[in-house]
Amino acid sequence: MLDEWSSSLLQTDPMRAYRMKRDAAHRTVQSKYTILGFISSGTYGRVYKAQSRDDVDTGGDGKAGKIHAIKKFKPDKEGDVVAYTGISQSAIREIALNREISHENVVALKEVILEDKSIYMVFDYAEHDFLQVIHHYSQTLRAQIPPAVLKSLTYQLLNGLLYLHTTHILHRDLKPANILITSSGTVKIGDLGLARLTHSPLQPLFAGDKVVVTIWYRAPELLMGAKHYNKAIDCWAVGCVLAELASLRPIFKGEEAKLDSKKNVPFQRDQLIKIFEVLGTPDEREWPGIKDMPEYNNMKRLDHFQNHLQEWCNSRIRSSSGFDFLRQLFAYDPENRLPCREALQHKWFQDEPKPTANAFQTLAAHQIPPHRRITQDDAPSMMPMPQVQPHPQGSGKPGSSASFASMTQLSGGGGGGYQTSGGRKKARMG
Amino acid sequence: MATDFWASSHHKRWVVDRASVKRARAEDLLYVDDPEYLDFLAIFFANCISRLGKKLQLRQRVIATATVFFRRFYLKNSYCETDPFLVIAACCYVAAKAEESPLPIKNVVSDARFVFSQEMYGIKTFPSDTSKLAEMEFYLVDDLECDLTIFHPYRTLMTLCYKEGSNVGAGGGADGNIEAGELGAGIDDGQRYWGTGEGRLELHEGALQMAWFIINDTYRSDLCLLYPPHLIAIAAIYLALVLHTPTRTLIQSQTAPGSSSASATGSACSGPTTANPTPAPVRRSSRQASNASSSSSKKNQQHHQPQDFVGFMASLNVSMPLIATIAQEIISLYTLWDRYKEDSPTSTSSLDSSAKGSFTSNQGRHNSPFTTGTKRSATGTNTSRSGSVTTNVSASAGTGSHAGTPMDIVREDGVEITPVFLVKVLLKMREGKWTDLAARSGLGEGGDGGGNGPRAVNKILGRTQAAG
Repeated sequence: MLDEWSSSLLQTDPMRAYRMKRDAAHRTVQSKYTILGFISSGTYGRVYKAQSRDDVDTGGDGKAGKIHAIKKFKPDKEGDVVAYTGISQSAIREIALNREISHENVVALKEVILEDKSIYMVFDYAEHDFLQVIHHYSQTLRAQIPPAVLKSLTYQLLNGLLYLHTTHILHRDLKPANILITSSGTVKIGDLGLARLTHSPLQPLFAGDKVVVTIWYRAPELLMGAKHYNKAIDCWAVGCVLAELASLRPIFKGEEAKLDSKKNVPFQRDQLIKIFEVLGTPDEREWPGIKDMPEYNNMKRLDHFQNHLQEWCNSRIRSSSGFDFLRQLFAYDPENRLPCREALQHKWFQDEPKPTANAFQTLAAHQIPPHRRITQDDAPSMMPMPQVQPHPQGSGKPGSSASFASMTQLSGGGGGGYQTSGGRKKARMG
Repeated sequence: MATDFWASSHHKRWVVDRASVKRARAEDLLYVDDPEYLDFLAIFFANCISRLGKKLQLRQRVIATATVFFRRFYLKNSYCETDPFLVIAACCYVAAKAEESPLPIKNVVSDARFVFSQEMYGIKTFPSDTSKLAEMEFYLVDDLECDLTIFHPYRTLMTLCYKEGSNVGAGGGADGNIEAGELGAGIDDGQRYWGTGEGRLELHEGALQMAWFIINDTYRSDLCLLYPPHLIAIAAIYLALVLHTPTRTLIQSQTAPGSSSASATGSACSGPTTANPTPAPVRRSSRQASNASSSSSKKNQQHHQPQDFVGFMASLNVSMPLIATIAQEIISLYTLWDRYKEDSPTSTSSLDSSAKGSFTSNQGRHNSPFTTGTKRSATGTNTSRSGSVTTNVSASAGTGSHAGTPMDIVREDGVEITPVFLVKVLLKMREGKWTDLAARSGLGEGGDGGGNGPRAVNKILGRTQAAG
């Protein structure tokens, strides 16, 4: 029978054999991928660009492995020691949802690697994102995004969102930085870290996350304190993103009122004013439910504004169907807001120029934003990687796709926590 | 995803055949004295999950998800080389998160320590260090291949049926009035994911409750690995129609005039009947009727136009032989479970929300076509299931005419299957496995790491091989 040593080990650590078996079979991140560089960081952790070492992934040319974006969740630390403290709710959510979905316009999860107390999600790589496009046009080209591109990006975004909504997923964090574009011009909705299934929830949506959606993209019902909300909050965000693509700056760029010390959600006065300045103050006629909103009385105390959306669109969208489209996405009453399916049928998409499958199809090379810059990780403990290679796509335009990482943080709302003081600015380039 | 079962990881990767389930126990079979113990362990572990889940105040659906995680984990691993109690705690912890009702890890650890140290389990070694559970969570999620979205039969039940007298479509979630066993709790509307999606069955509250409880019970077997959830739900409805006496009586009176095709009640036609020879037009959709009778009770139900239960089942567009097979497997589970003795340490037993009682009490009922017919099939399935039926089951089931005979709890070899006993079985298996591991590494030929399997020295091996 068992000797004393084994016997005591069996008592104290019955899973030992299992762990040894599992650890022996484990293929590490390092053995499967070459880390090429650091892309960005957020409250959740850090994103790296990586190349597959797998032969099956080399796409036939026998040389270059497929490129991926690896999202490494921030490990929990107790002091300086990394310890197992349980997988965060948002990681569980993002992993669980991503395993179930598959759509042309949603970023594909290739695999999840659980290793050394860290979680690595391996996604298909996307070269661009909406924020980067906006910056390229506002800073480098100093021109509007052409209507064909505007429409293509919006159309594909809605197409991906329709898929999520038909599978009962609310994204809850749509914003330019989270919407990616491949080098072949296909839009990919990313970052399902705040997304949630709305089908047969055991908990009300409000219970889990008091604040959803980055403030500039947050729908009025959320700002008014609604406990119940639905897919319409994502459609509002699409309107905000479209407006930002058209004007190259956030349409409702309010200041977020922070949670107080008791974590109560404050009245978002400034953000509502920013919305009212363009869309006018809502009344009970266009939004019957407004008088039942928790923040109704606070809202009543604000100045009264007229609707100026038509004027806003005149110089920026320059199309009557485009104005109508935006008007419907910005309906105050969530019940009247344009849902994805109807949005895709809208006349704006029927008018010339029509959207294209490759959103960049109509563009000259210099109009396409430069490739994503990668840098050396300034938190080397996070992921060992080789020296940064000379950048092959010498984008070189000063300030072009600049500070994408820092921009991500800027619009990263709700954040805090992760970014340590200083240091992070290194991600910026010029 | 939530609506599209056919595109889900559940459908694509986790409905497995019986051979896979059997293969998963191959190593455990080497170390267990009697293969049947493994079937009892399956019940025992599900009860453990249920107890811990209740202690953690998890909803029924979360407990169900935890149980599916547990079964999936042991599709890939052996009881004898793991600590199932730690796995159970990890399953509850992950399920709570996956179902959007997370719990602090330290609560899970302290409650698991409390529950498992109770006399019936006697596990004093559950780690108090939360990092052990968190580490297990990592391995668990990895073994689950990150597929954490589970479809359950409850949803199908509530889309197919509604409580007598309730508003069609309310589904139970809206009124917020949740009954014991959480009948209908948290069920949103949503389309059926197969067939035409039309028609719902109005069920007596007791029958609906029973179907719900039967579904609870199915998690004590491997059914959740073997069949898609909607088929399990339909099998549960089918059983509830037969086991729930008022509903059965109603169906019998409907189908009595010689409609032998009604499989559920086919043999009941000898009974006296008052039903019309030309039955009143039955309604496939009960929409109109339920609106007409908002305050329906058992009595005035008789005055309604009867629902066409058999027609409803037929309209579901699923394989009825398959439903019958699942129903038989559920019954064989009850037969097995009946021989397992677990006293609840408190009044709030984990078995509160089980239909086991109704099954057992129904067995004694004479004149029930169900009892004799199904007991025979129960043995049949049990045999095919694991080849581990002991002779006394066959014997008692064979004497179908004496339906009132209670099942013996004590096996012919005098062993009483209780939690205490099963914990011993488990520890013995684990010790056997470790002995082999130690022996192999001691002999210096441990490098090969497998293939030939351990050299088990106990009597089991011979028996297993003989049986297989």
